[in-house]
Amino acid sequence: MREVSFGQYYPANSFVHKCDPRLKLLFLIGYIVAVFLAQNFYALAACAALFVLVAAFSGVKFSSLLRSVKAIVFLLVFTALLNLFFHSGEKVIFSWWIIRITEEAVYFTVFLAVRLFLLVLSSAVLTLTTTPVALTDGIESLLKPLKYIRFPVHELALIMSIALRFIPILTDETARIMNAQKARGADFETGGLIKRVKAVIPVLIPLLISAFRRADELGDAMDARCYSGSKIRTKYKKLTFGWRDLIAALLLAALFAGIILLRIYTPAII
Amino acid sequence: MTAIEFEKVHFSYQNGGSMATDGDIFSSDAAFSLNGIDLTVQEGEFVAVLGHNGSGKSTLARLTNGLLSPDSGKITVLGLDATDEKNLFEIRRQVGIVFQNPDNQTVASIVEDDVAFGPENVGVPREEIGARIDFALAAVGMENYRHATTSRLSGGQKQRIAIAGVLALKPKIMILDESTAMLDPRGRKEVIDVVLKLNKEEKITVVLITHFTDEALLADRAIVMNHGEIVMQGKPEEVLKREEELEKCSLTLPRPLQICRRLRAVGVEVSDSLTPENLAAQIVSVMEKTPVTLPALWNTDEKNEEQQAAEGLQEETGRVECRNLRYTYNPASPFATHALKGVDLEIKSGDFFGIIGHTGSGKSTFVQHLNALIKLPTAEKKYKPKKKKAGSQEETIVLKVDGFDLTQKTTDFKELRKKVGMVFQYPEYQLFAETVFEDVAFGLKNFTEELTETEIEQAVKEAIEIVGLRYDEVKNRSPFELSGGQKRRVAIAGVIVTKPEILVLDEPAAGLDPLGKEEIMRLLHTLHENWCKTVIIVSHDMDEIAENCTRGAIFSEGKILAVGSPKELFEKTEIEKAGLDLPFAAKLTNALRALGVEIETDFKTRNLIAALEKRIKTGGAGMRLSPKGGANHA
Repeated sequence: MREVSFGQYYPANSFVHKCDPRLKLLFLIGYIVAVFLAQNFYALAACAALFVLVAAFSGVKFSSLLRSVKAIVFLLVFTALLNLFFHSGEKVIFSWWIIRITEEAVYFTVFLAVRLFLLVLSSAVLTLTTTPVALTDGIESLLKPLKYIRFPVHELALIMSIALRFIPILTDETARIMNAQKARGADFETGGLIKRVKAVIPVLIPLLISAFRRADELGDAMDARCYSGSKIRTKYKKLTFGWRDLIAALLLAALFAGIILLRIYTPAII
Repeated sequence: MTAIEFEKVHFSYQNGGSMATDGDIFSSDAAFSLNGIDLTVQEGEFVAVLGHNGSGKSTLARLTNGLLSPDSGKITVLGLDATDEKNLFEIRRQVGIVFQNPDNQTVASIVEDDVAFGPENVGVPREEIGARIDFALAAVGMENYRHATTSRLSGGQKQRIAIAGVLALKPKIMILDESTAMLDPRGRKEVIDVVLKLNKEEKITVVLITHFTDEALLADRAIVMNHGEIVMQGKPEEVLKREEELEKCSLTLPRPLQICRRLRAVGVEVSDSLTPENLAAQIVSVMEKTPVTLPALWNTDEKNEEQQAAEGLQEETGRVECRNLRYTYNPASPFATHALKGVDLEIKSGDFFGIIGHTGSGKSTFVQHLNALIKLPTAEKKYKPKKKKAGSQEETIVLKVDGFDLTQKTTDFKELRKKVGMVFQYPEYQLFAETVFEDVAFGLKNFTEELTETEIEQAVKEAIEIVGLRYDEVKNRSPFELSGGQKRRVAIAGVIVTKPEILVLDEPAAGLDPLGKEEIMRLLHTLHENWCKTVIIVSHDMDEIAENCTRGAIFSEGKILAVGSPKELFEKTEIEKAGLDLPFAAKLTNALRALGVEIETDFKTRNLIAALEKRIKTGGAGMRLSPKGGANHA
């Protein structure tokens, strides 16, 4: 009954939501490469502009996007400080005791921070606008060529999708068993490491037994529905690229063209 | 043509070497063997297979499509030999099985993907799969859920999707292996309606394995199994009348027939009938024939409940008081669901209280508040009281359980949980320890650390014995070796071992066979009399509530629709408004009223029968208020 929102899918019906998951995956990879190719603020600004455009068409609230950055704020600040103090440069703008801050260091720090921001935010757009199921489908489809080197693409995809499907069920079940043991006085919140590990046993054992029982029953149900993993298997869902995907691909291509031009005609700062 | 034919089929799990059993890999093996089964099912037939847990009825299903293979004997399915490995693929295509647990047979997260799984496996071309999904979803009435997420559906909907997944393979035979056992009444009805339709309209042969006798009554033929053998078969109405034989198989008569028998036992001559209308008409005609001379034989054993209730009101232990209780899951997210929308309820000390409602009506959320598994925001450690705005009239939440104030964070929640025992649905799934003793002692050791070994042993022994198990026999056994019913008893013992004042049970009888259900209810009465002051049960079974509870409450969409004694509850129209079924005794009373016979009853079968007996033996037909029903039996 309880809804557990895993992954962090944000339900909406936007342009980005409707794009093909394969395109979104490839787009993200391409975008990351572009961000790394950017050598100065002009190029980075171009990347940021594309991000703003995508974000605007994703239907995701900006606050939800920012939430995904929260996790890396510490990392961001830490590396920024290191860069600020220790990046070498000529034009000193501030000096006190052993601390020297140069103009180059400031540029460099800001540049890296913006780059990191863009990377995290763009990945967040993907997970926020694509259901785990669609992502799995996309990955399966993209990995298809690997079949020729006998890589079990289909099995892997099936395992992934079954795992995804059982996440909410097992999360629910864990909560239920924990509640049941809590009602019998189990305490999961206090005590040292050993006590806490011990406290987990009454949850883990029933959970494992239940997971095995479920696996067993699921296996029977799959057998009963003729699953044999054989070659005659067809696939109902076929991913298709649409006009949205074409527009997105063109945008990415434009970004690449721009960045390469900027690489040639403008000076690099890193 | 014959759809399924078993000839002298023997099967035993030891020899079969398979661990797959009645949904429980740790059940004792021998219980599910088959001993020389002979069985023929014709094409288009609707056969119900009844039997207690472990009678071998699920084994029957698995043998039919080759999930198991027999030790000896012959199984033919649609002319194909089911023991021949080569035929399995074709047989599985023709024989669809829907299993018990709706969560464990769905492969994909999205409805249409799951329905497509079967056709994909047998290589149906892509274009045709779409058409098959349309057909299958329409057949189970779920066409609007094509793109829905499977985990968000109700139990009944999930089972209908499972049926659609099987239907998409276009099978000729469909086996439902206790597919309704884990559903609430609404879900059961949904599934049974679909099955009936498929049998009538699509001409699919149906084998319905169940222990609900009311479902078996819908079939063309009923088969009763006991210890791996078929002991009875025939027209369901005929088979289900044979009380003694049914009892030998740990089954019970359908409730309407139970009432007929009990009426006859007190001298009201009615023949077996299944509908309340028919029975009511018979009772009325008996009334008209009976001369008003017999002396009264009944005795009223009713306690003065009002007086009892007044006593309970003053006592704090064992009492629950709740006002304005609200609760929202995942607040401030797109998935926010308001589970409780302002619940006011009082449960008195000494009550045997029933909580009724559909899945999702908030009843489980409510009971989890009772021992602070869900804490009120004001009782959280982090909570800082907000300054109240001048003039704002926020209603204050009151939640007092057994004298503890659950709105305060200073409350001793550990002590509360000791005093308020909670038995969850399918409690046997929370067993974990190596021995029964250790498992039962778990709660006791958690709550009271200063107990000596002998004190613990004494308490565990008492708890195990009161739930009806033999201490010396089970204490050193692994809980996983026990039978389903025994496991449940051990799990209950593990909760009551701390002698709670209030015992809360979420569907204590779910998934048990009829006899198991009766035993559990008897156990709860024993506990109520000797062990816990207040017992609260959550149940879907109206008869269970009517027969056992002193008071009850109906939950609907996060609110309380009605509170009171069964008499007050089932007298009201609220029950039907909430889409719930009435207990049979109430249906009979209503049917009698429709015929003009006014009966004063609290809807407990025992008291209804006493009232009818009294009425017939003293008043007879003279008491009839209006002649409305006269034409029916003139």
